[in-house]
Amino acid sequence: MEQLTKSYRNGAPALDHVSFRYEGAGAIGYLGPNGAGKSTTLKLLVGLLLPTAGAARLNGVDPRENRQRALWDVGAVIENPEAYPSETVFDALNRVGILRGLDTREIDQEIDRCNEELGLPQLGMRCGWLSKGQRQRVALAAARMGDPRVLLLDEPTDGMDPTSRVQVRRLLQTLRKDHLILMSSHLMADVMEVCDRLIFIDSGRILLQDSTDAVAGRTESRLVEVEFATPVGPSAFEALKPWIQDYARVSDRRYRLGFDGRAETRSRILEESLRLGPVRSFTSAFPALEDAYLEVIGANPAG
Amino acid sequence: MAASRPTRRRVSVFTQWAVIASSQFRNYLRTYRFLGLVAFVGVVAGLWLFFLVEAGTGIVRLSFLNSVSEFLTDYTQSTPLWIILAAAFFGGDALSVDFNTGAGYYTLVLPVERSTLLAGRYASATAVSLIVVLEYTVFGVLGASFAFGRNAIPWGSLGTSLALAVLFTLAVVSVAFSFSALFKAPATGVLVTILVLFVALTTLQNVVQITGYEPWWSLNYAGGAISSALDWAFTPKQVIPVGGGKYLTAWSASPAEGAAIMAAYLVVFLALSIVLYQRKESRG
Repeated sequence: MEQLTKSYRNGAPALDHVSFRYEGAGAIGYLGPNGAGKSTTLKLLVGLLLPTAGAARLNGVDPRENRQRALWDVGAVIENPEAYPSETVFDALNRVGILRGLDTREIDQEIDRCNEELGLPQLGMRCGWLSKGQRQRVALAAARMGDPRVLLLDEPTDGMDPTSRVQVRRLLQTLRKDHLILMSSHLMADVMEVCDRLIFIDSGRILLQDSTDAVAGRTESRLVEVEFATPVGPSAFEALKPWIQDYARVSDRRYRLGFDGRAETRSRILEESLRLGPVRSFTSAFPALEDAYLEVIGANPAG
Repeated sequence: MAASRPTRRRVSVFTQWAVIASSQFRNYLRTYRFLGLVAFVGVVAGLWLFFLVEAGTGIVRLSFLNSVSEFLTDYTQSTPLWIILAAAFFGGDALSVDFNTGAGYYTLVLPVERSTLLAGRYASATAVSLIVVLEYTVFGVLGASFAFGRNAIPWGSLGTSLALAVLFTLAVVSVAFSFSALFKAPATGVLVTILVLFVALTTLQNVVQITGYEPWWSLNYAGGAISSALDWAFTPKQVIPVGGGKYLTAWSASPAEGAAIMAAYLVVFLALSIVLYQRKESRG
């Protein structure tokens, strides 16, 4: 993408001179609050939107100039894709298979593979009868038909139950070894496990691009979770008041403590916690990435 | 999992078109609007045929339909109305559905040019509309066979009339596709097609005829050629005295003129549909 800009009729830029270029294999997490420009970027990439300025290219081809070539090796799940309601799951995937250049035998094999990877609903079921999670799995399967090298995924686990989410995460972890995945998500656990690189966007502008490890290392977590070997009453935490900003009881043995994020404060909380009773574990309550997200997006006034 | 990648072959534009057209066609056949329209036409035309049979052939003569030509000309005057209804139902939302529902996010991300998608849908919308036209025509032929005998059917003129009906369907579907590409809400495309073709064009055409001019620019006027083709006593221009020494000129499109107008609408509105659809964005 080169200096990609998209403005709507009200003049506000949904995307403001955004540039990035990725090739080879890997998974890139595209992060930002609602309305930041994530879906707009993906739509511009596949030609669902037309840029006001700049250009988007997939496999070196602008989808405005040649959709067939640009999207030939691309699978995309954007917003909430729906096949024809009266069409069966098999027919919906079969159609995609033919358009991606597969023969009948290969289509059957691909549908079997997608079924293994994603746990598809019954193939004879009409698409109009599917639940949101099932529709999303069919959409992911459609994106995987023919095994395209590039996957553009907008909230790919949206509407899925926890088991399916884990299944999709594992699939993406495997695929990132030999596919290029650009994935937007609000779910930090998904991003953390799947993506090796991250792009933070807000108000149509890219705020940060870096590896997941580097981004996670930018901040210390501001929440720790302490688990005691024996029950501890909430009143005991009065002694920690000088170092903690607040605390929440998770169970009679586990408490979540908010603090200023400094390493020395964290050490002091650990020392004081040990005075309250034997400590079984002392960990960051949230992944560091979540804090990094808040720091990057929060630092932006519009965030 | 990633051990063997399937071998993918280049897909011809014709194959893409055929896949899009057949899947859309199957989808139309399962919709309530198709089943409803087929049932409605069947009931209306079926009742007409039933009453004709019940009343006997004399009723035809009483209606001053003295020849099979007059009978079929009279019957096919309603054909354009059914075509407009069918084309609006199947073409009025054929493109807007991509921008109003999740259908576009499933289809528009596939490696297919939008012009091919449009061509496939255009073929299927035309095909289902023609099923309705054929159904209506079959009832007419049955009625004519009953009233005038099977040997009396003018198959040549009927073939010309049907060919004009096909051309008219193509033209009306083009108009419906333009509105479908223009508006985002599917119902708007359907409604505007019906309003423009049923109400606006008909009204304008009548006003222009009263002032003594031929409404050669009207698609509805061209649709009249479907029945003109069956009229043995066809005259393109009739001057009718209306009293007080005044005259009204009534124009009828000949098959050739009707075909030319229909072809012009087809080309202009199909081109417009392609331009609009190519530039339509998924903003939802």
